[in-house]
Amino acid sequence: MLHRLVLFVGLLLTLPAMAMSVALLNPGKADEAFWLSSARLMAQAANSLDIRFEVHYAERQHTRLLEIARKIIARPAGERPDYVVFSNDYATGPELLRLFDAAGIKTFMAYSGLSDPADRLAIGPPRTRFKGWLGSLEVHAEDAGYQTAKKLIETGRRVGAAGKDGKDGKLHLLALAGDRSTPSSHRRSAGMRRAIAEAPDAVLDQEVFAAWSKDKAAEQAGWLYQRYPDARLVWAGSDLMAFGAMQSWESRGGKAGKDAWFSAINTSNEAMDALKSGRLAALSGGHFIAGAWSLVMLYDYHHGRDFADEGLELDQSMFASFTPHLADRFLERYGDMHFERIDFKRYSKVLNPSLKRYDFNFEQLLR
Amino acid sequence: MSVDFRPIATSLMRAIWRWATLCACLIGSIQAVFSCFHVQNEFEMQVRDVGRSNIPLLSISIWDIEPDIVQRQLDAIAEKPQIGFVSLTVSTGQVFTAGESPPTDKLTAVRFDIPPPGRPSGHLGRLDIYENPQAFYREMLYNVAVALLGYGILTFLICTLVVYFLKRELADPLRHIARFVATLTPDRLTTPLKLERPDGHVRDEIDLVVDGFKVLQDGVNGYIANLDELVAQRTQELETAMLSIQHLSSVDSLTGCFNRRLFNERIVQELERAERYERPLSVAFCDIDHFKQVNDLHGHWAGDQVLKAVAGIFQRLLRSDVDWVARYGGEEFVIVLAETGLNEAVSTAERLRLAIEQEVVFCNDKALNITASFGVAQYSEGDSVQVLLQKADSLLYVAKQAGRNRTLPSP
Repeated sequence: MLHRLVLFVGLLLTLPAMAMSVALLNPGKADEAFWLSSARLMAQAANSLDIRFEVHYAERQHTRLLEIARKIIARPAGERPDYVVFSNDYATGPELLRLFDAAGIKTFMAYSGLSDPADRLAIGPPRTRFKGWLGSLEVHAEDAGYQTAKKLIETGRRVGAAGKDGKDGKLHLLALAGDRSTPSSHRRSAGMRRAIAEAPDAVLDQEVFAAWSKDKAAEQAGWLYQRYPDARLVWAGSDLMAFGAMQSWESRGGKAGKDAWFSAINTSNEAMDALKSGRLAALSGGHFIAGAWSLVMLYDYHHGRDFADEGLELDQSMFASFTPHLADRFLERYGDMHFERIDFKRYSKVLNPSLKRYDFNFEQLLR
Repeated sequence: MSVDFRPIATSLMRAIWRWATLCACLIGSIQAVFSCFHVQNEFEMQVRDVGRSNIPLLSISIWDIEPDIVQRQLDAIAEKPQIGFVSLTVSTGQVFTAGESPPTDKLTAVRFDIPPPGRPSGHLGRLDIYENPQAFYREMLYNVAVALLGYGILTFLICTLVVYFLKRELADPLRHIARFVATLTPDRLTTPLKLERPDGHVRDEIDLVVDGFKVLQDGVNGYIANLDELVAQRTQELETAMLSIQHLSSVDSLTGCFNRRLFNERIVQELERAERYERPLSVAFCDIDHFKQVNDLHGHWAGDQVLKAVAGIFQRLLRSDVDWVARYGGEEFVIVLAETGLNEAVSTAERLRLAIEQEVVFCNDKALNITASFGVAQYSEGDSVQVLLQKADSLLYVAKQAGRNRTLPSP
């Protein structure tokens, strides 16, 4: 009898310790390298931290994000996730915050945070107006833009890209940015502009928005090559857009890495291969890890170790600037998104009481 | 109403309708021409407006290299009804088109240069806008149709009003006048013509016609009155003439006695009356003795004087209202004595004979003594005129044979 009672009490004690659950509202497509690897890495983090994890892809349609949110809210209370992680892509963040907060579901923003001043004013800091908004972890996207542009300009100098038909002896850059509404897109461009501003011998001929699409980038690049015959350096806000621009250049009879130089952001296998083969002059990536880091922070929060001491809105540089060597290592370890080797328990403060600050850089995964 | 009758309102209406329609067509045509120019201008302005208002956005889209947006904008431009086709040639070689009716050689494009955004100069591309001829003609047709419809309705309304007023002011009064005239008989000549005109109407030609009728009626009335008088006068004259003709045709002009023709008529009536009322009636034949000698010796004028003298005696001595005398032949008279028996007739004849005997006829200062013989006969029932005269004549003959200047039968 007593034995049974002890067992029952034991069961009662284990109830609160039931696995926490997190849903990711993924703004991308299920076959999009960046967002797929983000989800895969989060799944690995959830796996190693014993978190129930679900992913919903909005297929790059921001209305779908709101639909998914409503569906989640419509579920019976027991089937709702404890936390929802989403990105402020297409500036959908405020609306998602409102929806989930009204439903009493805790939220966390990863990748892109609130950047629009009007939004910031209306929504305020986390845990104020919307109590359930715990915080945000933004990738320091400017770094990626800055790193790649800087490297691209250096490459241009090294190969004498300015001398190639250049009339004013300057390095002419073309920029293919993502979109106008996603903060991370802005920041990458801002980093690129900072790099160009620092280089007196480089000018940005024009920046256009290719909506993260390879085809659109290819078309726009085609126009740009005609519009700016002196330009030989192409900066892209993502790997796909860089490949589009490359394709367009090569369809005109050029050769990437020989008579025009391209930079990209992201860690797709293709990007790694292109970097190794020299078709890409610069590549930064690894920020897809932001989702996984968010899970680590939520795990700690859930288990009583709030991340508020480091700040509610964190902005961390997670980008690794890849070299062919690092690319090799990346492919070798995580090629085809095999993240099973990464044990995220190592990064939790709850599980590692000696850990005082989070280190969000991706490069530690390549050491 | 005759087949050829057509109301004045109808005739006027037709004329007005014809002319109004003609005018409407003329004005409509002028309007159409103007509208053509107007629509043309309007059209060009609209096309220019469309172009100008789209240039800034197109400029940005081309600059930002947003082919989808460029295409959408062109589609939006081409959707406008007045635009048939749009083509955009980017300076980097790309060509965008939109619209359902590719331009024919006849159409010229409205051309716009697209500068880079925020810069007035430079060249990003060229926008060619071709108008849609169908829309243009539709607009034209619409304008002309509206104009014509307007004029049509206006014409119709004017005509309707004209008909109404014509009917009220002209046709109805004229019909009234026509009806009045149709019933204008001599006995109704004095009936005045009264028209029902609307209140507060001002005198017009119709009233002049009514006044004219009044004048005409008065004139005719006056004339008719005059005519009656004239007819009475003429009738009087005619009657007098008739009487004198009758007189002349029944009286011997020389003697003033009835002539033989009248005698023949009247004697029949006298005999009928005598017979009907069984009244006595006698006749006396009188023949002037030796009258031929008087003529031969003293001339015809003397003979005439003798005849006149004898007739005068008869007139003096006979009952003027009962007895009557006719000159039966040259110097022979027949005296008809109504209501007179034989004896009385004989004594009357004798009295006449004596008076003749005592009568002296002066002729060329010559006194002529004359005598006459008488034969008297009374009418007996069943006697014809012939028989009665025969009886008197035979007695006269006897008297002549017996030596003249005597009456037989003897008194």
